[in-house]
Amino acid sequence: MTLSTADVCALALLAHHLGRDLQRAARRAGGPRSLLTASDDVFCAALGVSGAGRARVAGVRRQVAQTDAEAVLKARGITAIGAGDGRASPLLAQAFDPPFGVFTTAPGRCAEAWDGRRPVIAIVGSRRAGVASTAFAASLAAGLVRRGAVIVSGLARGVDAAAHRGALDAAGTTIAVLGAGVDSSYPRANRALRKRIDAEGAVVSEYWPETLPAPWRFPARNRIVAGIAHAVVVVDAAATSGALITADFAVELGRPVLAVPHPPWEAGGAGAVNLIATGAAVCRGVDDVVDEVPHPGWTDLGGAVPPTELEGTAARVFDRIRTCPGRLDELVSHLSLEAREVSAALAELELAGLAVVDAQQRWLAQPTH
Amino acid sequence: MAVMVCVITSPAIVGLDTATVQVEVDLRPGLPAFAVVGLPDAAVQEARERVRSGIANQGYRVPPVRIVANLAPADLRKAGPQYDLPIALAILAGAEQLSPSAVAGVGAAGELALDGTLRPVAGTLAMAEHAARHGWRALVVPVQNAAEAALVEGETTIIPVGSLREAAEVLAGERPVPIVAPAPWPPDVRNDVPDLCDVHGQPAARRALEIAAAGMHSLLMVGPPGGGKTMLARRIPGLLPPLTRDDAITLTRIHSVAGRLPPGQGLMSRRPFRAPHHSISAAGLVGGGRLPQPGEVTLAHLGVLFLDEVGAFQPQVLDALRQPMEHGVVDVVRAMASARFPARPLLVCAGNPCPCGHADDPGGRCVCPPGRAETYQARLSGPVADRIDIRIEVPRVDSAALIEGVPDEPSSAVAARVEAADARRIERGQQYPNARLQGTALRKAVSLDGNGRRVMESAMTRLGLTARGFDRVLRVARTIADLDSSRKVGESHLLEAVGLRAYRSLG
Ligand SMILES: Nc1ncnc2c1ncn2[C@@H]1O[C@H](COP(=O)(O)OP(=O)(O)OP(=O)(O)O)[C@@H](O)[C@H]1O
Ligand SMILES: [Mg+2]
Ligand SMILES: [Zn+2]
Repeated sequence: MTLSTADVCALALLAHHLGRDLQRAARRAGGPRSLLTASDDVFCAALGVSGAGRARVAGVRRQVAQTDAEAVLKARGITAIGAGDGRASPLLAQAFDPPFGVFTTAPGRCAEAWDGRRPVIAIVGSRRAGVASTAFAASLAAGLVRRGAVIVSGLARGVDAAAHRGALDAAGTTIAVLGAGVDSSYPRANRALRKRIDAEGAVVSEYWPETLPAPWRFPARNRIVAGIAHAVVVVDAAATSGALITADFAVELGRPVLAVPHPPWEAGGAGAVNLIATGAAVCRGVDDVVDEVPHPGWTDLGGAVPPTELEGTAARVFDRIRTCPGRLDELVSHLSLEAREVSAALAELELAGLAVVDAQQRWLAQPTH
Repeated sequence: MAVMVCVITSPAIVGLDTATVQVEVDLRPGLPAFAVVGLPDAAVQEARERVRSGIANQGYRVPPVRIVANLAPADLRKAGPQYDLPIALAILAGAEQLSPSAVAGVGAAGELALDGTLRPVAGTLAMAEHAARHGWRALVVPVQNAAEAALVEGETTIIPVGSLREAAEVLAGERPVPIVAPAPWPPDVRNDVPDLCDVHGQPAARRALEIAAAGMHSLLMVGPPGGGKTMLARRIPGLLPPLTRDDAITLTRIHSVAGRLPPGQGLMSRRPFRAPHHSISAAGLVGGGRLPQPGEVTLAHLGVLFLDEVGAFQPQVLDALRQPMEHGVVDVVRAMASARFPARPLLVCAGNPCPCGHADDPGGRCVCPPGRAETYQARLSGPVADRIDIRIEVPRVDSAALIEGVPDEPSSAVAARVEAADARRIERGQQYPNARLQGTALRKAVSLDGNGRRVMESAMTRLGLTARGFDRVLRVARTIADLDSSRKVGESHLLEAVGLRAYRSLG
């Protein structure tokens, strides 16, 4: 199926103005092209609209026909990549119910990221994830980037944001798939990160740029995250987490799903544990992902972070938090050191990227991959 | 009976400044009446009743004539009951119950009770300074205010008296002038400020308190309810370096003017601790009123201003702290009078990490939605965020530490180190605490070597330290080096200073 830019725009605009999804209507009408060129009667029948609603649908169609959508996109610096376009993701084309196309501000970086030469790994998980989980997600993303991968996620709080950040910190490429138009600034908490991704990665969405976020669009967004990735890694997901939807899409596509093991006594991680119980591979780090995803694009170069030379108090503190994370005061009393020595050591470790502090003000050793 | 006019002076308080008020009393034949003119407030108007009763009850006679008391200059608003005594003395002199020459060149201030005894008034120290500056022969003050008045050195004789009759008799030379000894200096430092030895555990918080005290660095403590934040804050005044006599006099003047000098205390030798409730208004916090009165930030000058539950203060109230925190003074500008008050407290704020208070709890008891703790913490320090040098976590101490109750280091030991660190600053020729180091003075006091520069660079990239945050780290590191008796600010000092920025999300 090949769709022109004009077709992609028209379909997205129609979906935007009608406030609904056109995937099913397109299938009923015999494909997106047929839907676009159908008479108002056929179009309404495919949408399942009857009676008074038909006049409104016809009005929207006329309005969309008169809009120079490509000029609007051009003015905003946004490109539409239609399905079948040379720049489209070949993996996404295999997905069940692929989008008509995607909108992005960085078509070049997208095409290069998903042209198949590099492994594309989705890292998804809880929005409520703690620092330990987000630190793991970030370092996993960084480690995969250093092995040649591109990181995909959904720009949500928590694990998603950490995955994007980790990839960027390691000077890698990352793609954020939005459940809203690329012009929306959702979620606001990630505005700074969004700026970095705009500059160094790519933000994509199947929706018309002005589309606002809505809860029903997130599962649809997850099918794209899974669709463009060779594998999905779930870090920290509760039993009802949206990340599990992404994993389901990958399973349906026959692509590897990995999950990071989580202690069973913490209810917050039950989703990831259930995935492993039902056959997902265990992800303990970069190597598990590389083993699970056969791809010629994996590199060995830069695989290991050069071990930092630690000495004195910093080494003692690092050894302690690696096995037993703790708060400043706990470390002071356990190590029988002065508060000033421990806090200086922690700052040294933090600045070296070897320690992070979580919301409970507990210090953890930063995993290095 | 001949017309008699008699004049006596009284100092008026305007903000922290003073002005001379001439109290003229005119007695002329006519139906007995008593008027006070010259922009008096209600309390001054009521002087008529107190003066009449006071004179009569002290065995003198209120002349049965038309009495007009005029307070000059007329454009200065006169407030408070301090004019009772000068008006009464002027009436006695006018009625020749006291020789007019006895009151020439004499100032007086005091409130009369109905029985003619004297009550203390606010601002006596500033008044005594005014009298000395203007070469007044003598100043009559209530005996309760004698100690503060006696702090002033000069030619003016301070005459402390307990009643109107005593005042008249001393001025007439019928009684000796009562002797008042000035408050001893240095003062007796065994004070009743709570001691750090009551706090068990909390090594990190103790260290942060020591650093805050040594450099007058503003401090934010975040932690769960019952963690001991309030307890720690109350102990900070006991860690600060001793006051100089000049500072003690400044404090005495402020607290005296505000009418808050503890009774019988001549000199504020202790650093103040002020903890206004979060319902306070902006005027209450920084000063205001039709006749300018100092606010909490001035009452806490050179001491501690503790904002407990800082997140509960109105944002615009906290915003009013900007000017004082930046410039060390508050300007209260009013139509009637304007005033400038000093305002250099050590700002200490405390709050919970999230609305439910448990975001820090390792047990995961927090019930707030994701992201709520961050926005709450941003609001905690919001308007004062860029003024906070040190942010620490105050976790709940486990019950074992509380039960064991091993006595911890007392305040005196910490205070000794703080004083030594402060001495190093003075040795450097630095006139003010490290918290006020800025710009070139800061660069001069903290010169970074290669290692230091590397630490600061990685702090900026790793932790997203802003330019403001950068300066804060340098200032705190300077204090840490002073506590370490080190002329140079080294890598370990910088690292510890970086570590004193818990809650990094606050920027
Ligand atoms: N480290 C400690 N050592 C001794 N007593 C402590 C300690 N921590 C707390 N306490 C006891 O707990 C009481 C409550 O502490 P405090 O009122 O200072 O807590 P807080 O952090 O200010 O709490 P809130 O957030 O509720 O205001 C103290 O009065 C004291 O008796
Ligand atoms: Mg409290
Ligand atoms: Zn909470």
